[in-house]
Amino acid sequence: MSIAFLCPGQGSQQPGMLHRLPDHPQVQKTMNDAEDLLKKDVFSLDTEKEFQSTTAVQISLFLWSIAMYRVFRAEGVKPDMAAGHSVGAFSAAVIVEALSFKEALKLVRKRGKWMEEEHPSGYGMGVVTGLSYNQLKRLLKEHDSNKTVYIANLNADDQFTISGSQTALDVFLKSASNEGARKAELLNVTVPSHCELMRDVTKKMRQALNEISFSRPKIPYAGNAIARAFLDAERIREDLAESISKPVRWNETVHLYYERGARLFVELSPQAVLSDLVNKTFPEARAISVSNGLENCLFLLERYNRKS
Amino acid sequence: MNPIQVQREKTRSWTTRRDAKRKRKDGLSGITDGKVIPTESIVDVLETLIKPGDRVVLEGDNQKQASFLSQALSSVNPEKVKRLHMIMSSVSRPEHLDLFEKNIAERVDFAFSGPQSLRVAQMLEDEKLTIGGIHTYIELYGRLFIDLIPKVALVAADKADSQGNLYTGANTEETPTLVEAAAFRDGIVIAQVNDITKELPRVDIPGSWVDYIVEADKPYQLEPLFTRDPRHISEIQILMAMMTIRGVYEKHKVQSLNHGIGFNTAAIELLLPTFAEKLGLKGEICKHWALNPHPSLIPAIESGWIESIHCFGGEVGMEKYIEARPDVFFTGPDGSLRSNRTLSQLAGQYAVDLFVGSTLQMDRDGNSSTVTSGRLAGFGGAPNMGHDPGGRRHSTPAWLNMINSDDPLARGKKLVVQMVETFQSGNQPVFVESLDAVEVGKEAKLDTAPVMIYGSDVTHLVTEEGIAYLYKTDSMEEKRAAIASVAGVTPIGLERNAKRAEQLRRDGIIALPEDLKIRRTDAKRSLLAAKSVEELVDWSGGLYEPPAKFRSW
Repeated sequence: MSIAFLCPGQGSQQPGMLHRLPDHPQVQKTMNDAEDLLKKDVFSLDTEKEFQSTTAVQISLFLWSIAMYRVFRAEGVKPDMAAGHSVGAFSAAVIVEALSFKEALKLVRKRGKWMEEEHPSGYGMGVVTGLSYNQLKRLLKEHDSNKTVYIANLNADDQFTISGSQTALDVFLKSASNEGARKAELLNVTVPSHCELMRDVTKKMRQALNEISFSRPKIPYAGNAIARAFLDAERIREDLAESISKPVRWNETVHLYYERGARLFVELSPQAVLSDLVNKTFPEARAISVSNGLENCLFLLERYNRKS
Repeated sequence: MNPIQVQREKTRSWTTRRDAKRKRKDGLSGITDGKVIPTESIVDVLETLIKPGDRVVLEGDNQKQASFLSQALSSVNPEKVKRLHMIMSSVSRPEHLDLFEKNIAERVDFAFSGPQSLRVAQMLEDEKLTIGGIHTYIELYGRLFIDLIPKVALVAADKADSQGNLYTGANTEETPTLVEAAAFRDGIVIAQVNDITKELPRVDIPGSWVDYIVEADKPYQLEPLFTRDPRHISEIQILMAMMTIRGVYEKHKVQSLNHGIGFNTAAIELLLPTFAEKLGLKGEICKHWALNPHPSLIPAIESGWIESIHCFGGEVGMEKYIEARPDVFFTGPDGSLRSNRTLSQLAGQYAVDLFVGSTLQMDRDGNSSTVTSGRLAGFGGAPNMGHDPGGRRHSTPAWLNMINSDDPLARGKKLVVQMVETFQSGNQPVFVESLDAVEVGKEAKLDTAPVMIYGSDVTHLVTEEGIAYLYKTDSMEEKRAAIASVAGVTPIGLERNAKRAEQLRRDGIIALPEDLKIRRTDAKRSLLAAKSVEELVDWSGGLYEPPAKFRSW
């Protein structure tokens, strides 16, 4: 019976999120470290206006997860495995100790910037629920014959995000709605993540990753592009680059960690998107987000540790 | 005449296996001089006794797991112990697959891997393991005595004495079979036990079959797999249960049977003392069972419906209740249940009238599978129960009732009933053009597609729409029409022809609830003999002690 830490990606941001982090020396330290490195007031990043930029969103989410991870470490809690969704993978790489906080933060900033520059406007993402993977693939074949819409995240058996140009997304989401999707709508995301349209960003990121050193991870890291548990620094390096232009196989990741024994999932996030997915899928497991309150998490972790 | 020249192998030794075993055991002289291995030495012992390439059977089915030994095996040095060929009924625990990640083992034969089905599929794809075969329980047990004879058996028991006699009690399950395959062909048998005591309640496995015992650091893992909380039984499931009781059990006088895991069958069990009793069926149907001790059967037992139950395994919380009902259950002189997975599987295959199961997908020919994309799970015992054993000779009213021709050599058939709602949760249709299993089989390069129950074996299909009496159909075309007629608004159901369905109904090949004199509006939860786990406890007079996760009061 193990504990898995989950780090969110875009979509889990909330204006003011950094201001709502708990008052803890480790939070303060993380923000100070970040300010030294970014040479700017990090608490100015989490406004609604700043969040128009994916860079601000990605940095804020990364800092949020790492600050909370450090709080847990200071309180004596260690995970047995870690996984991150999209940019959350960089947080996970820090948690498994494959990548240093400083290097990771610099990479996250680059990631956001490069993604923005690649498609400054006219592109985005949508969400489709209530269809199976096969049904969605069939719909794409029928209604997107030019192949301009891509499956970007496989979040649950019946929940997916798609990427593409605004116009292509609009057309396809309408068809999905007509063909029985429970929900088919645009997301408030300005970049077409996790698809071919990001191939060049993958190339740039691979180059950047090759210039820094990785350590052998202490605990498993879950790949985004290939849903495997990696204990090998090179596989993590490759995944952090490759996953920018490949679908995130999150559903498999969570199943994989469940099968590897995770029964308590702690989401280091201002929202509870990932933990809701776990709770919906696995009645035998327990998932909680730090957004439910640090005290609640610590209480659960303590009770859990005593039990196992 | 040319006499055949027989060249006797004068130099050949006929005791190589026995000698090898002795030599391995000699290696343990520094650790133990008897049968008892100190708990903390278990990893050393495994590294000494197990050699590279050994065939190792590790106990673990869907309920009971030799969890201490599996953890110890996954902690051995892969330089010393490697290339193992694992035989496991069920690949269930994370460390079962860690064995392959760590290169301790490389090949596996199994029957079920539901709890690790994604990892099995991934590791097969990554060439981290090879699969010998995905078996049914009985097949796998059979092969332990033919061409998969184990060098080492790692098993679990409740208690042992210092002579190595084992008490496996209610959870005897597959232990005697695994031990027998190793013990009588010079394999080494190691049993983890929860306690070593002076006196055993009874001996389930004699000490002379056992080489070593080791006290585990904590009791072996045991899952309450067969407990279904009546709270979650829906009115559609009650309707289907009513139809099955009338349209199958009563119609064919089904006296002996097996139920799979699920809420559909739990509903049947809970309708016996109410709905079926009112129909005057007590003593006519459902008397003899090959079944785990389902708590949902308590009201039927208490109402005098049940004459006998033989069990594959135990069920957590049912121990005291069973001890108090030895007229119904198989119990030892000590009072506790004796289960036996091999024998109950055989009984369920050959000696019962009927099996009821469920599935996630069924194609238009009635083939069914619970396999989903990207997972490799196997089916454990369902294919044993869910087929017609062609070699059967003895007859019963239900078996004879399946004869559908004037052929003088005609024989009966086992009733294989599939009970499904036309849509699964998440709005996925159960009736599909093609089973996911076909694709999964191709992806995993299996020799045959992983079908759970073949359409050719299914005699009855029950859905919320009605019953299809598939054994009565005399062509594939008619069978497909019958399946489509009860398949609702799924893609297969939409192929139905209304006129044809009406004809099938007149011919008695399909029956709607009203044909069975069942009003849909009568299918109410108030019909259930117990509507919650708490009420099951009441029925048992407080003897049933449900595990914590089922206690909501």
